[in-house]
Amino acid sequence: MQKIDKVKRDKALELLKSGSDSKLLTHLNACVRCGLCAGSCMFYIAHKQSKFIPAKKVDLVSSVYRRYCTSMGKIAPALVNAKDLDDSMAEEMVDLLFGSCTMCGRCVKHCSIGVDIAYIVRKGREMLSAMDMVPASLQATVDSALRTGNNMAIPTEEFVDTIKWMEEELIDEMGDNNARIPLDEPHKNVFYTLNPREPKFFPLSISAIAKIFYAAGENWTISSRFYDVTNYGFFNGNKEQATVIARNLYDEIHKLRGNVLVLGECGHGTRANRWEGPNYLQKSYDFDMTTAVELIADYIRQGRIKLDKTLNKELVTIHDPCNLVRNGGLLEEIRFVVKSAADNFTEMNPHGNENYCCGGGGGMLAMSEYNDRRLKIGEIKANQIRATGAKVVITPCHNCVDQLSQLNHTYKLGIKIKTIAELVADALVIEK
Amino acid sequence: MCWYHWIAITSLIFSVALFSYQFARLVIPGRPDDLSVSSGSVTKGVVYSFTKAMAPGAKESAYLHMPTYAGGIIYHLGTFLSLVLFFVLLAGFPSLNNPLRTIFSVLLFISFFAGFAILIKRIINKDLKSLSGLDDYISNVVTSLVQLFTAIYLLVPGAEILYYLSVALFFIWLPLGKTKHLLFFFFARYHLGFFYGWRGTWPQKSE
Repeated sequence: MQKIDKVKRDKALELLKSGSDSKLLTHLNACVRCGLCAGSCMFYIAHKQSKFIPAKKVDLVSSVYRRYCTSMGKIAPALVNAKDLDDSMAEEMVDLLFGSCTMCGRCVKHCSIGVDIAYIVRKGREMLSAMDMVPASLQATVDSALRTGNNMAIPTEEFVDTIKWMEEELIDEMGDNNARIPLDEPHKNVFYTLNPREPKFFPLSISAIAKIFYAAGENWTISSRFYDVTNYGFFNGNKEQATVIARNLYDEIHKLRGNVLVLGECGHGTRANRWEGPNYLQKSYDFDMTTAVELIADYIRQGRIKLDKTLNKELVTIHDPCNLVRNGGLLEEIRFVVKSAADNFTEMNPHGNENYCCGGGGGMLAMSEYNDRRLKIGEIKANQIRATGAKVVITPCHNCVDQLSQLNHTYKLGIKIKTIAELVADALVIEK
Repeated sequence: MCWYHWIAITSLIFSVALFSYQFARLVIPGRPDDLSVSSGSVTKGVVYSFTKAMAPGAKESAYLHMPTYAGGIIYHLGTFLSLVLFFVLLAGFPSLNNPLRTIFSVLLFISFFAGFAILIKRIINKDLKSLSGLDDYISNVVTSLVQLFTAIYLLVPGAEILYYLSVALFFIWLPLGKTKHLLFFFFARYHLGFFYGWRGTWPQKSE
């Protein structure tokens, strides 16, 4: 049975016909298919199959563009590599644009021309979304966020219980009944957000950031309803859904009259809120926005927290989340914090803007149908980590933590994986 | 001027007209709209994109593939030399004496062979072949032919008709095939510089 009819195809093609989008027009026309991007893509490196070359992914989208949006493609499609958007093309797009790309952007930096390959992949995902062809597992994650306010569908009562439990732990650890994890309190300076993996699987990372806020004397709160920093609408290619999710946080900080939206340790969540959020909502935000990493760096610089890095003696290395470093400019800030909190530090090779994705980005962690591929590409990261000899890997992204934990198990790395807040919390000197 | 001169000139006008149209489409929308708060400098990002980010040591597409990269650079230099020589030869520029003709001819033979090698690689390399369609072969052939016939015409005046016809073919294909990256390359670098500059990734502060 035909999967895509004319109505669906027209909706998808409409996304390519934006004549007033210079960036889109540029990147759809710039690739010369030199294939030199192959060696920069972890899918190609791990699998050595031609179909994983980034240029191939670009060509899927641009060949459809040429077929329907250019005169030559309409008159003589074979001459200009123009192709029909039919069922087989759409299925290939699903496999390669959803299942074979984390949109990490490593190939972009190394492209001989400068084609924003990840941007074109995202455009292709938007086309597939318009044709209702998002992988069901990824769509289910988005649906959970739309339905419940967080992508793991954690009931509010369960979340509140976890926070209360962490608060009791904090009070015990600090020996201070004033140590708090404030929920839904208005007029606070910091409106903090979390990756739902934290309350679900890693509650200690919540107590770590709470400990840092306590030490810094910060005036902060978390919303019990809209605390989710993630936005899988960025991955499924549905801008309307991404906008609804971004608006949840926008409305909540207004409701609680917070000053600064602090994005918890999540790569794509930071990107989706900081860089894409205002564009989804089509308005400049009237509050400040920063990341947990930058906030902690400020505390250190301002002397609001004191650290004893000898408390973290083990050799640590950094895994740079693609959306925070290559696509977010936080390379130096992450290193400043880690070097302030750890006594023994080494870099991966390559690292920073050259870093390899952990393999869990682009929504891959949510798409169980691609688990084998995800773990296979992760071997590159596992080998990088092993080569450093580090005992602890620091990464300011909970999705990366999740993927690295699976790599740790699969490739028997024997490492600990920590967020920035956890590393800093371990080095805190609390003056009483 | 003879009929083949006019064919080449008409093709050039076609090429310029189409590129002008594409240029207008790229420029008229203006600077990209971004409502987020920048943490870097677009100007510095764009400058970096056209300079340090293009250095062979900055791109795996260059330093992991040095023979191909070097061949590509030579091939592109040959293409630009052919373009310049087209105007020089069409104008019958008097200073293009015999030694100069010989030097240019040798350079163009070299660049032609670089292009030919790239074509052969596209045909025999499994990965590249899987990426390729008619456009890739046509683009290489029309560009290589211009270089070859320019090189020949510089030494053998009798090859004039073939030379001008090859130029005409090149100008017609230039804005239609992937050869249009002649224009889009610059916009791709601009948009990439804008993207990374806006977010403070380029220029890298620790460099």
